[in-house]
Amino acid sequence: MAGSNEVNANESKRVVPLNTWVLISNFKLAYNLLRRPDGTFNRDLAEFLDRKVPANSVPVEGVLSFDHVHRATGLLNRVYLPAPDGVSQWGFEEIDKPLSTTEAVPVILFFHGGSFSHSSANSAIYDTFCRRLVGLCKGAVVSVNYRRSPEHRYPCAYDDGWAALKWVKSRPWLMSGKDSKVHVYLAGDSSGGNIAHHVAVRAAEAEVEILGNILLHPLFGGQERTESEMRLDGKYFVRLEERDWYWRAYLPEGEDRNHPACNPFGPRGKSLKGLKFPKSLVVVAGLDLLQDWQLTYVEGLERNCQEVKLLYLKEATIGFYFLPNNEHFYCLMEEIKNFVKIDC
Amino acid sequence: MGPFDFAAAAAAASSSSSSSGSAPKHPPDLDGLLAGAGYKVRSSELHHVAQRLERLETAMVNSASHIPHLASDAVHYNPSDLASWVDSMLSELPHSSSLPSGFPDPYPTALGCGWLDPCAPQPHQNVVVPQQQQQQLTVVAALEEDSGIRLVHALMTCAESVQRGDSSLARSLVEEMQALLARVNTSCGIGKVAGYFIDALSRRLLGLGSAPAWTYENEVLYHHFYEACPYLKFAHFTANQAILEAFDGHDCVHVIDFNLMHGLQWPALIQALALRAGGPPLLRLTGIGPPSPDGRDTLRQIGLRLKELARSVNVQFTFRGVVASRLEDVKPWMLPVSPKEAVAVNSIMQLHKLLGSDPNRDPPIGSVLPWIRSLNPKIMTVVEQEASHNQTGFLDRFTEALYYYSTLFDSLEAACPVQPDKALAEMYLQREICNIVCCEGTARLERHEPLDKWRARLGEAGFTPLNLGSNAFKQASMLLTLFSAEGYSVEENEGCLTLGWHSRPLIAASAWQAVPSVVNSPTGVINPNDNNNQL
Repeated sequence: MAGSNEVNANESKRVVPLNTWVLISNFKLAYNLLRRPDGTFNRDLAEFLDRKVPANSVPVEGVLSFDHVHRATGLLNRVYLPAPDGVSQWGFEEIDKPLSTTEAVPVILFFHGGSFSHSSANSAIYDTFCRRLVGLCKGAVVSVNYRRSPEHRYPCAYDDGWAALKWVKSRPWLMSGKDSKVHVYLAGDSSGGNIAHHVAVRAAEAEVEILGNILLHPLFGGQERTESEMRLDGKYFVRLEERDWYWRAYLPEGEDRNHPACNPFGPRGKSLKGLKFPKSLVVVAGLDLLQDWQLTYVEGLERNCQEVKLLYLKEATIGFYFLPNNEHFYCLMEEIKNFVKIDC
Repeated sequence: MGPFDFAAAAAAASSSSSSSGSAPKHPPDLDGLLAGAGYKVRSSELHHVAQRLERLETAMVNSASHIPHLASDAVHYNPSDLASWVDSMLSELPHSSSLPSGFPDPYPTALGCGWLDPCAPQPHQNVVVPQQQQQQLTVVAALEEDSGIRLVHALMTCAESVQRGDSSLARSLVEEMQALLARVNTSCGIGKVAGYFIDALSRRLLGLGSAPAWTYENEVLYHHFYEACPYLKFAHFTANQAILEAFDGHDCVHVIDFNLMHGLQWPALIQALALRAGGPPLLRLTGIGPPSPDGRDTLRQIGLRLKELARSVNVQFTFRGVVASRLEDVKPWMLPVSPKEAVAVNSIMQLHKLLGSDPNRDPPIGSVLPWIRSLNPKIMTVVEQEASHNQTGFLDRFTEALYYYSTLFDSLEAACPVQPDKALAEMYLQREICNIVCCEGTARLERHEPLDKWRARLGEAGFTPLNLGSNAFKQASMLLTLFSAEGYSVEENEGCLTLGWHSRPLIAASAWQAVPSVVNSPTGVINPNDNNNQL
């Protein structure tokens, strides 16, 4: 049990800037208050503590955002668009026009993290991140406010992701290029990365085109304990027993972590051979206790003859991409930018 | 369900607006990156906060059994103020190693001690964070149907021509829109709301102003609005919660209600006071309201009903009615308060009416806030529409209102209220729309301003915020599940609570206390009731 009951502030302090340490430690401690031992979640306190920001259709630093709520389901997507160049005659833009008629413009369908239980599309950290992505990729970003566990278990998050994908694919104002289609990439961090994978599988099976997957330390796992899980337990903001709690909260009751949602290339996983699965950029933080599972995921894609690039950031902890104050952040941004360049 | 996916209203940045594209920067000493994450921490305090977080973690590990207490019983306030949140957590735990103020700091404040230096001077240190008050909207009508798009386009164009003074174009557009309306579903969604706005534009162009508001009718409409959707219930509930807490330990309490209406807010407070541990206080209620057109003493009648209720639960209760057409007509001498009693001032959607002015005088709010302070209230509860409907530019105001009321009407639909609640609630809102669009000067009463503006205004007038906590939040959330449809959401906003539809806050509740006035008299005596004092 070494490390799991000790406070290892010293280790994590050495590898992140002070404000990052404050941010992630704050999340860690707040989240400790929210998980109950009986598997229920203090949703009210979670919503109270979560810092949210409204959408803003006034462009700020070149990005505007608005929320769309699907009337039938209540599913909310927050849309981020690059602000139009100049202002039209009457001072407003109609977004019934495509993003471009000549060039292909990437649309990133983003799934926020939070281990399936925390955060929302309008959480400040994710709103900020999505805005950055717009500036970086010169494209649109759609952030999905998927239903969370434990109130909504597997497969709700995947269903919501699939619904959002279909919605995005059918928006005329997200289309671009001479071929007039929506050029979609899926992206997500932590549980969002897991969702991106599963939505991509469903899309591939339904022959819905996705140009690429970007997975930022995606949440995968399995029944066995890996070397990295044991070595890094409790050392860099994350403890294994929390990870277990979130899987118990997300997976169907009674299931173990070899459920394919958690372990897509494990004993109950399925083959992706022959599927037109998108190319993947998998980002692994070297100080994330889940890295062995993420590396197993990369190997799984390779075994299934799918294109994958691994970006291994040795000194990075989870959440390194929230604040632009470290080299890993800039490295990641560069990789993402190149990954979504569409040859057209 | 309408055929439209009305994502957000179209709005136009007026050419005069210089702030489109910019947003307020934070005070220079706040860590800009954490601010972008929703946390206000001074850079100089970062180290201190980190220390406290470490201490909190140790304490939580050592007293793991107390975590449930922290989660369920402890009340959390204003999570944006990270430093005080962590400290409040620490103070809740037993054997908390809270540092006495003189304790030497084991971590010298030089940056980098123990923590990694950031890799580069943070280029986004003063990151600009979009704030709600800057919501002069540009764009965004994700309308799926042609006629819907044309309608919004026409509304914007019409409003723009009104702003420019081109009445003939505006009038022809109104005709065009009335024709368009015929082809659109006006029973819900954009069609319904557009109808009200077209109507209001038409009235404005005809010089009609908004329809005269008969007081009696207004109270009836208010009551049905109360029943049809959760906004007023939320307002009353949240304010009562704060007032109840402020009255804790006081034997004589006095509530001053700026707009009594049918007194809907007060039965719940009376009952809560009746059940108070240690017994109820002596309760005085002063209700302000306009004169009844038919000469009846409505205020007194409501007071009598409340007194009857109070008697039935053994709460000693006295009522006084103060008749005034406008809040600014109320003078402090009409509201005698005793120094022995705890005073709560309650303003549900009244303060914004004091922001209007004519060229000859300053807005009345400037004189009303000081007299509120002179009452030395223990608490002032303020609920206001969370919208920016007081902008000088007509187009900005119009489009903001279009977005706001569309969202509000959407939420009303979803709450599925029975008739006649629904129809009368819509009429209630239609009146607001009309006032915002048709009226100017002192006739324009619905001058809604967002939280940030109220914070600044009340701060300047000598009020400090009393944070509404997680207990109020939780109860408001529970109230919503009892009364309303999915889609309503309560959010915490730096000590205030908002209720909105999906992710758009529509109404904001806050609580305030008056900073005690200090008189520089020779004896240095602090005289909180001295009106002549200025801070």
